Amino acid sequence: MSAGVVQSEEYRNNQKRKDGFISIFIGIFAFVWIFPILWTVFTSLRPYNDVISYGIFSWPRHINFNNYVNAVKEMHIGIYLTNSLIVTVPSVILTLFFGSLIAFVVTRYQFKFNLWLLLLFTAGNMLPIVLTYIPVFWMFLWVGDQLGNRNLLYNNYAGLILVHVGFQVGFATFVLSSYMKTIPKEISESAKIDGANVFRHYWNVILPLLRPALAALSVLMSTWIYNEFFWALVLMSDDSKRPITSALRRLQGQYVTDFNLLAAGAIIAASPTVILFFVLRKQFIAGLTLGSTKG
Amino acid sequence: MSEEKNVLSRRTVLKGAAIGGAGLAAGGALSAGTATSARAAGADIHWTTRGGGDTGDKIAKAVNDAFTAKTGTKVIAQQVNSDDFQNNFAQIMQGSPDDAFGWMAGWRSNHYGEAGLLADVTAQNKALTSLPASAVQAATNPVDKKQYIIPTTYYPWGLHYRKSMVKKIGMNPEKIQHWDDLIKMMTLTKKNGLVAYAMGDKQGWEAMGTFDILNARVNGYKYHIDLLNGRAKWTDAKTKETFKYFAQLIPFMNPNFMDIDWDGCRDLLLQKMCGAMMMGSWFANDFKAKSQADYNDLWVVPFPEINKAHGIDTIDAPLDGISVAAHGKNVEGGKALAQFWGSKEGINAAIGAGDTNIYVSKDFDSSGYDAFGKQKLAVLGSAKNIMFFADRDSRGDFAGPILGPALQSFMKNPKNVNKILENTQAQWEALPKN
Repeated sequence: MSAGVVQSEEYRNNQKRKDGFISIFIGIFAFVWIFPILWTVFTSLRPYNDVISYGIFSWPRHINFNNYVNAVKEMHIGIYLTNSLIVTVPSVILTLFFGSLIAFVVTRYQFKFNLWLLLLFTAGNMLPIVLTYIPVFWMFLWVGDQLGNRNLLYNNYAGLILVHVGFQVGFATFVLSSYMKTIPKEISESAKIDGANVFRHYWNVILPLLRPALAALSVLMSTWIYNEFFWALVLMSDDSKRPITSALRRLQGQYVTDFNLLAAGAIIAASPTVILFFVLRKQFIAGLTLGSTKG
Repeated sequence: MSEEKNVLSRRTVLKGAAIGGAGLAAGGALSAGTATSARAAGADIHWTTRGGGDTGDKIAKAVNDAFTAKTGTKVIAQQVNSDDFQNNFAQIMQGSPDDAFGWMAGWRSNHYGEAGLLADVTAQNKALTSLPASAVQAATNPVDKKQYIIPTTYYPWGLHYRKSMVKKIGMNPEKIQHWDDLIKMMTLTKKNGLVAYAMGDKQGWEAMGTFDILNARVNGYKYHIDLLNGRAKWTDAKTKETFKYFAQLIPFMNPNFMDIDWDGCRDLLLQKMCGAMMMGSWFANDFKAKSQADYNDLWVVPFPEINKAHGIDTIDAPLDGISVAAHGKNVEGGKALAQFWGSKEGINAAIGAGDTNIYVSKDFDSSGYDAFGKQKLAVLGSAKNIMFFADRDSRGDFAGPILGPALQSFMKNPKNVNKILENTQAQWEALPKN
C-alpha cells in the first residue's frame, strides 16, 4: 500500500517536472511567435528620428503615440476602411451562399460526376492566384468592352467581389461539404418523405444545421479577404477604390520610408481583424478543426 | 450546444446575404454609372501622383488648381504608391489609365512609348522653350526619335560624406577630387575603426550607382551606355578594368552590405560610423530632421576622377518628368496638363507648395537654395553627360534580374570576376530580341 503511495508521488513529481518543462518550451515558442508583433508595437511607439540617429537596437529616447496620430492623418483611413467593408461583406456572404449550394448538391444527391465536381472546385484552390492574374485582367477588360463599359468589372468593386467569390468558393465548398457529410442522411430522407422540394430541403433543413460551419468560415474568409492586397492592386486602377491595405502603401515613399510610421499604420490596419478574432474566437477555433474528423 | 449560442442566427446571415447581394448589384450599377459619367465626359483630365504622401497631394493640387484656373478644365487627381504603379505599369496603361502622370525618362518611357502605351509629346517639349536642349535630348527615344516624356526634375548621385569627419582625418573636405584622394580618405577612415565606404546592396540596385560611375570614370560615358545596351561586351578588357577599381573599394566596405538597404548606409553616415557613401542626394531631409548641425555637416561631391581622358564629365542623374497615357480618355487634355507641369507657372506652383526637387527648366529659380542645395546644383553642373542610372539606361529585364545579382556576387567574391562577367554576357545574349 505504502509502496503504491510513494510510487504515485514519484509519478506525480515526475509529471510536474514534465509539465514544467513543457511550459517553458511552450513559453519560448510563444515568445518567438509573438516577438515580431511586440517589436512592431515597440517600433511604432518610437519617433523615426530616434531610430535613424541612434540605430534600431538602441535604447529608446522617446516613447509616444505621435506615429499613430500621424498615421491616421496620412492614411485617409475612413475611405479605405469603407472600401474594405464594401468588398469584404458581400464577398463573404456570396461565397458562403454559393459554397453551401454546391456542397449541398454534391453531398445530398447522388450524381455520377459528384466527386469530379468536388475535385474541380478543390483543385482550383491549388492554383496560385498570380498565375491567373493576366487572364483575369484581359477577361475583365473584354467583358467590359463587350458590354460597352470598360470599367464594368475592371476598376470596379463588382469585379473585385466577383474575383474574391470565385477564388474562395472552392475552399468554402470543400469545408462545407465535409461538414455536411456529418449531418445524418436520415434528416434528408425524412425531409423528402415529408414532401420538401430541393430548395426547401436546402433552405429550411440543411442551412440551419450548417450554422456553426458558416460562422466559422465567415470569420476565416473575412480575415483573408480583408487582408488581401494582390487583386485590389491589380484590378483597381483608382487608388480611392482600394481597400485598407492600400492605405499602408500611402505611408511608403519612393525612396525614404518611415518604418516607425508604417509600423503604427500596420497595427491600425490589423486591429479590425484582431478584434474580430477576439469577438468570434470560438468560431475561429471551431473553423480550424472543421471537417477534421470526416471528409 | 453551448457553442450554438455564439453562432450567428440564421436570420442574420440570410438578411446579410440579401443586403449584400443587393449591395453588390447596386454597387456595380452605381460605380458603373459614376465611371461612365466621369470618364466619358472627356472634358475633365485625370492625373496620377506617384507617391509623396500628403506633400505629394499638396503639390499636385497646387499645380492642377493653377491649371484649372488658367484653362477652366477640371483635373481629378489621385495618389498611388510609386512602386505599385511602376510594377503594374503595363497593365494600368492598357486598362483605363489616368491621362497624365509623373514618370521616369530613359528605358522606362522609351520602351512603353514604342509599345504604344505612352503618347508622343514631342510637340509639347518643343513648345516649352525654357527646357535645355540636353534635357530634351535625354528625353528622346534613340530608336524612333520621338519624346514620350516632358522632362521636369532630376537629382544627382554623388559621393556623400561629413565635412567634420574628413577634417578630423586631416584632409580638406572640398578637395576629394582624384581616385588617390578617395583611397587616402578611405584608408584613414578605416584606420579609425570606421566603415570607409558604406554599401548596402540588399535589394540589388544600390551598387549599380557605384558601378555606373566607376565605368563612366574609367571608360567614359559612351562606352558605359554601349555596354548597357549590348553594343559593348561585358567580357571586354575595358569592362574588366572597371571591375579592378570596384575590387579596390570592397575591402573598405562594411561586411554586411548584403544585409542592409540604402537607408542602412544613410544611418551609418548619420551616426558618424562611415566615411563615404555613393548615393542619390534624396535623403538630406533626414539629416535636417536630426539637427541643423548634422545637415550643415553633410556634403556631396562628384565621384573623383580616375581616367584623365574622361575627367568628371559624367554623372548619374535620373531624370523624371510627366508622361501622357496613349489610351487615356482625354489624351489632348493630358498633353496640355503635362505641358503645364513643365512650364514656369507649373514649376512655381509646385515649389510654392513645398516641392524640393531640382527642375531642369531654365525657368527654375534656385536663388533660395542653401549651401547643400547649391552644392547639389554644382555637382549636377560639373558633368556634361547625364546617365539615368543602370536600371533606366538598360533594359528592364537586364538591370534588375541580371546585373543586380551579378554585382552582388562580385562583391561577395571579387576573385570570380571573369566568370561573373562571362555569365552576365551570356545572359544578355539569351534575352529575347525586341
